[in-house]
Amino acid sequence: MPFVTVLIKGAKTGATTNADGNFSIAATSGQTLVFSFVGYKSREVTLTAQTTLDITLEPESTNLSEVLVVGYGTQARDKVTTAISRLDNKVLENIPYQNVASSLQGTIAGVRVQSVSGQPGAAPRVILRGGTSINNPNGAAPLYIIDGVIRPNLNDISSEEIESMQVLKDAASTAIYGARASNGVVIVTTKSGKTGKLRVNYQYNLSLSQLAKGYELASARDLITYQRQGVLATAQVSGNATYLTQLTGKSGYGTGNDLTNSTAFTTQYLTDQNKYKLTEGWESMPDPVDPSKTIIFKGTNFQDVLFQNAVSQNHHISLSGGSEKATFSAGIGYMNAQGIAITTNYQRLNFDMNGELLVNDRLKLFGRMMYSRSGNNQVFSNNSIFERSIDVPMTTKYVFEDGSLAPGLAMSLGNPEYYLNKLKGKNSTTNLSMAVGGHWQILPGLSFDPQLSLYETSGDGRSFQQAYYNGPTSYITTRAATGLYGKRTQYQADGVLSYGKLFQGVHNVEAKLGISYYQRDTTGLSAAGQGASSDLIPTLNASATPVSVSGYESRQVLVGYFSRINYDYMDKYLVSLNARYDGASNLGASHQWGFFPGVSVGWNLHRENFWKSISEDKLRLKLRASYGVNGNIAGLADFQAQGQYSVGSLYNGNAAITNTILPNANLQWERSKTIDLGADIGLWNNRISMLVDVYRRVTDNLLTDLSLPLSTGFSSVRTNLGSLENKGIELELRASVLPSSSTLQWVVSVNAAKTQQKILKLPENGNANNRIGGIEIWDDATKSYVYKGGLQEGGRVGDMFSYKQLGIYSTDEEAAKAPIDYLITRSNRTKYGGDVIWLDADGNGSIDARDRVYVGNPYPTWTGGFSNTLTYKGLSFYARADYTTGHTIFNYPRAQMIGQFQGDINISKEALQSWKKPGDKTDVPKYYWADQNAQNNLFRNATGANGSNSRYYESGDFLCFREVSLSYSLPKKLANVARLQGVRLNLTAQNLGYITGYKG
Amino acid sequence: MKKQLRLLYITLLGVIIASCTNNLELEPTSVISNASFWKTQDDAAGGIYGMYVNLRTQASKNLFLWGEARSETVGAGVQGLDGRDLFYLNQLDATNSGPDWQGMYTVIHHANLILKYVPGISFTSEVTKNNILAQAYAMRAYVYFCMVRTWGELPLVTEPTENFNPASVQRERSSVANVFTLIKSDIDKGMALFPNNTFPTGRNVWSKPALNALKGDVYLWTAKKLAGGTTDLNTALEALNLVKSSDVALLSNYNDVFDYTTKGNKEILFAINFKRNEVTDNDYANMYFPPAYVPNDINSDVATALGVAAGQNFWAPTATFRSQFTDDDQRKNGTFREIYTASSGVSKFYGAFAVKFNGMVELGTRYFLDDYIVYRYADILLMIAEVKNALGQDPTPEIMQVRTRAYGSKVSAHLFTNGSQAQNDEVILQERLLELGLEGKRWWDLVRFNKAFDKVASLKDRTGKDYLLLFPISANTLSLENKIRQNPGY
Repeated sequence: MPFVTVLIKGAKTGATTNADGNFSIAATSGQTLVFSFVGYKSREVTLTAQTTLDITLEPESTNLSEVLVVGYGTQARDKVTTAISRLDNKVLENIPYQNVASSLQGTIAGVRVQSVSGQPGAAPRVILRGGTSINNPNGAAPLYIIDGVIRPNLNDISSEEIESMQVLKDAASTAIYGARASNGVVIVTTKSGKTGKLRVNYQYNLSLSQLAKGYELASARDLITYQRQGVLATAQVSGNATYLTQLTGKSGYGTGNDLTNSTAFTTQYLTDQNKYKLTEGWESMPDPVDPSKTIIFKGTNFQDVLFQNAVSQNHHISLSGGSEKATFSAGIGYMNAQGIAITTNYQRLNFDMNGELLVNDRLKLFGRMMYSRSGNNQVFSNNSIFERSIDVPMTTKYVFEDGSLAPGLAMSLGNPEYYLNKLKGKNSTTNLSMAVGGHWQILPGLSFDPQLSLYETSGDGRSFQQAYYNGPTSYITTRAATGLYGKRTQYQADGVLSYGKLFQGVHNVEAKLGISYYQRDTTGLSAAGQGASSDLIPTLNASATPVSVSGYESRQVLVGYFSRINYDYMDKYLVSLNARYDGASNLGASHQWGFFPGVSVGWNLHRENFWKSISEDKLRLKLRASYGVNGNIAGLADFQAQGQYSVGSLYNGNAAITNTILPNANLQWERSKTIDLGADIGLWNNRISMLVDVYRRVTDNLLTDLSLPLSTGFSSVRTNLGSLENKGIELELRASVLPSSSTLQWVVSVNAAKTQQKILKLPENGNANNRIGGIEIWDDATKSYVYKGGLQEGGRVGDMFSYKQLGIYSTDEEAAKAPIDYLITRSNRTKYGGDVIWLDADGNGSIDARDRVYVGNPYPTWTGGFSNTLTYKGLSFYARADYTTGHTIFNYPRAQMIGQFQGDINISKEALQSWKKPGDKTDVPKYYWADQNAQNNLFRNATGANGSNSRYYESGDFLCFREVSLSYSLPKKLANVARLQGVRLNLTAQNLGYITGYKG
Repeated sequence: MKKQLRLLYITLLGVIIASCTNNLELEPTSVISNASFWKTQDDAAGGIYGMYVNLRTQASKNLFLWGEARSETVGAGVQGLDGRDLFYLNQLDATNSGPDWQGMYTVIHHANLILKYVPGISFTSEVTKNNILAQAYAMRAYVYFCMVRTWGELPLVTEPTENFNPASVQRERSSVANVFTLIKSDIDKGMALFPNNTFPTGRNVWSKPALNALKGDVYLWTAKKLAGGTTDLNTALEALNLVKSSDVALLSNYNDVFDYTTKGNKEILFAINFKRNEVTDNDYANMYFPPAYVPNDINSDVATALGVAAGQNFWAPTATFRSQFTDDDQRKNGTFREIYTASSGVSKFYGAFAVKFNGMVELGTRYFLDDYIVYRYADILLMIAEVKNALGQDPTPEIMQVRTRAYGSKVSAHLFTNGSQAQNDEVILQERLLELGLEGKRWWDLVRFNKAFDKVASLKDRTGKDYLLLFPISANTLSLENKIRQNPGY
């Protein structure tokens, strides 16, 4: 094994093993040699008279002895002085991730991962320590580095190929990546070949998934009842009899439908002609508004139509092996995953290869290639199909009388099966990453590591809308077709000069000096056409009329020079200095270069003599502190600083050029300064190990949109604006509950992180707290009207305000005493029993926009997770859960299903608890059709963050049982019968359930 | 020797790497940076259409909201209200203020860019250059005219926005008089620059006749609302008469004025162009009728007029408005249609929709892409009648010209007799309602004639609250522009 440090205990002499793992040292009998290497247990051998020694080092296994891949190198946990977390490989063991970034969910303290799309394979949102953005706190993505190659995400990587994943969290650890590192760095290394016999590994996974829980909808019968009575109620309170025409309309609850193909719904009065339907599963009910008549209908829950039991299969085979001089590794993976929505799927093919050649004692060369091709047929945004399937009224016809699929009301609110099958789409993405590099031992202690890489990702897609019925009667033959192609090519060159030496046996110095060049080119084409004469050809050549063409090309260049010096004195006192000098092409001409330093120190107390009384085995303690500066330019488009005139619009066929972006030559690096204090604690020979970090990050010069006066004709300009503070605490704990001698092993691992954000400074604009945006409401503390929310110094991003529901008026008499509600736009604002009792915050006897109160914030404060591993001989049980707390979500679907803003969508089960008659005590107001036309019990001045009824701003806290796995490794003997090294079987259940108060 | 060789290799590597790092100054390929624009004649041509694209964005919905939505012509449709009731019920306030002025100032910013940079560009023909500058002046005058009628006092921006220094972008509002001084000065400058009194093909950009129409409109307003008196009336009359001398005429078929296939016809002076694949539906889509709401027993004649049902019926022509048309007026069926249903046993009114701007149907889909008419000849004739009446002259010829087209052979039943000034004004305002209804002019007409509190049901009990004639400034505007104060009364 090369690079193992060999020391004579107590002396200042040492040596390092060479590339073949050999070493020589002058020592005398009786002296003790200490062999150490990061990630391996140190070994001490007392010399007798022998002249040669064969030493084998054993790898260590707890997280305090793990080896971390840090920027441009590796480091043992023992020597790390910054905040770095490493993913427990257990998380990757059982699940073939469609997107491996999901594995960070709840497994690393301080990282918040949320899936943002139901599309299989899509990248989740990954936010470290709350992110550094006030514009778009959900857009602050970390920097991803895979085997030294920067990537925009972790898409399409097969998790089986991953050797390790670590997250660099504080500024001192990420300073070596300087630019773009302020939202953290995720470093991934992939597996490489090992010397030895050829090893073949095959893995197969079969998974079944289904929708965890459908939305609880009221039945078709209830829908008709509530909607018809609701229309009556709304017509009455609003004094607008026009609404009564709804009752006989061709709607989900109107009786204007019939059995022909020209109406979308089943709801209709019973007649001699249609009564036979009652024998075919249709139901009947008295008309709730005129019991002398009978309504017949058929209910269909379109959630059942949309969702399927999805089957996914994953194969992965890897080969690795090598000689003393050369090693190689290769893997092929194939995944085919159905989505839980019909017609959605994801396929992925992976090829990974790497090899290493020891040319001579001094020179090692390697090459790496990763290729993936993935595809899906996504045509709608998934969120909209999910929401649609909930909304489509249950009384919608699923099929017509002739048996053909019925389209429903319209594409925007129709039968998902009909519309999904009318849209033919296809997307594919190719990722190719190639790297060639080497390690050149120039002199003992001095080496040079160059790496040249190319990363190319290209995507192509097409969509075709077949001729379709947009609703039962309008037949659309536009046959819109699109095609697109986009490519991103990234060239990266890195060279690092390293020098390491142990001076006088105690002063260990390691220095690096490097340069990095990064160039990213993007280019793309797209076209759209229409008017194809048939549905047969989905590609653009069938289009009769071209509609539009578009193309783009852009480039970004970043150049960085960096250096790191690590020093330690006998592993006791650790110091690390980092610096990077970075230039970026997309910054303002006068501010392209930035300097990002970092410093960190650590103290291994257990290495001190005074610790001997405690014993290192009982308690190990390292204290560490770091400070550093990072940059970030994620929020900046390639040429934004230069202003922009946009092309592409037409005015009567003439190409128009519009001024869309204001130039800002002063745009500069966003800078984060982070102080991080931490401790690594190990108890009882590291059976319990713990990492604790407390940090404060202040980000200045935030790249943020500054809202401009509207009379400038621009809404905003991208600028460096203000500063933001993120504070937090993180804890990772790992415990082997049973002693290592036990055959049953039980490992518990827990992590937790709290993040708090505060806006420290905003540009002077003459407003109190230099507020930008926000709303004026009553402040009870100061007894005055003040602006809250928006962006304010001392405030948080994202605060939401709404009208507080105190209860429901039980009777008309009670309601008569209600304050005047100016949110009702009619001049008659009478309140009735069943209306919401609003908080009159300012107590002025009227309810208006100034009576809103704080109802929450959408960003979580606590995130974390825990896992348990039980191992007994070949049997292993693993369970993992994660949680998020402290955030509030506006549940628009729930409000809408009570408020019926749209007019013709389903209602939720909750409507059944609504106020119905004087004396009823409930939290759900009386059901009105189109609440905004009635009493505005749910539809206030807005239906977003700052407007609706407080009851529908719900706590988003959840605990999710993410994975439970049971695996069994066949006894070696048994496997050997089949000439296999080992066989491992596992049964895994994912996303088993949520515990949450959120109503879905 | 070996050591020296090694040193050489290292140096060489260093040079190779360092050579990659020389240049961070990149030029964009697919977008135009500010520094590289406004250099050639073609830049100016692209820029001027950019100005119209921004105006079109406003014409898609906002011009109607400011110019007509608060009047008696529109009311609830058969569907939800979509917040539109706030306009015709005149319930706007700072929170629900209607559209703010940002989009209009974007148009002004583009006009200002042209006025600043185009003079420095060398053109192959001065005529082309002057024509571009004239359009920018006309546009700036028109946009300020729309805004001053909507909000009154305005921040006066005459230079393009090129920095965001608070000292220069936070502006106070200038008096209405000052705004009109700028408008009139822009009109004069534009007038001097337009090379001739002809129309460009399509009539969808500013021209000298269109600018004269604007001039007439502006001076008529200042005559009546800013005590401009006879001087302004005469200026208006002179400008409007100049329009007459250009290539304009009333089309005999009223529907043809608005049809998608007859855009840029002889009655048009200036219309904002909407075209398939350039822009999405304009807001007239929301005054049409969605298929799901069409009753089964719809009258076949109305069904034919409706054609492909589309859009929404969030609002519709009101009964007040509809009842004023007589059956012999071709403008009745040219403006709206009514739907009756007998589903409850007796035939009852069910709903109405606007047909004036019903767009066109392509491959089964209706697209609401009729042009938004800023000025047309019938409007000019009625403005002339209004000016003449104010000057004590006989407005009969112009009124009768408009009526003759409307009633055709039945016009004898609709003869105009010259009466008192007040009576004539009443007739002219009424004729404007019938002729120009739903074209985004009614509210401003009511304000100009001082009739808003008489004619709009939701204002009848609020006489004297003259602040209602202006729109409120939005809370968002007040929050972002700290030197702007709310219109008194709101």
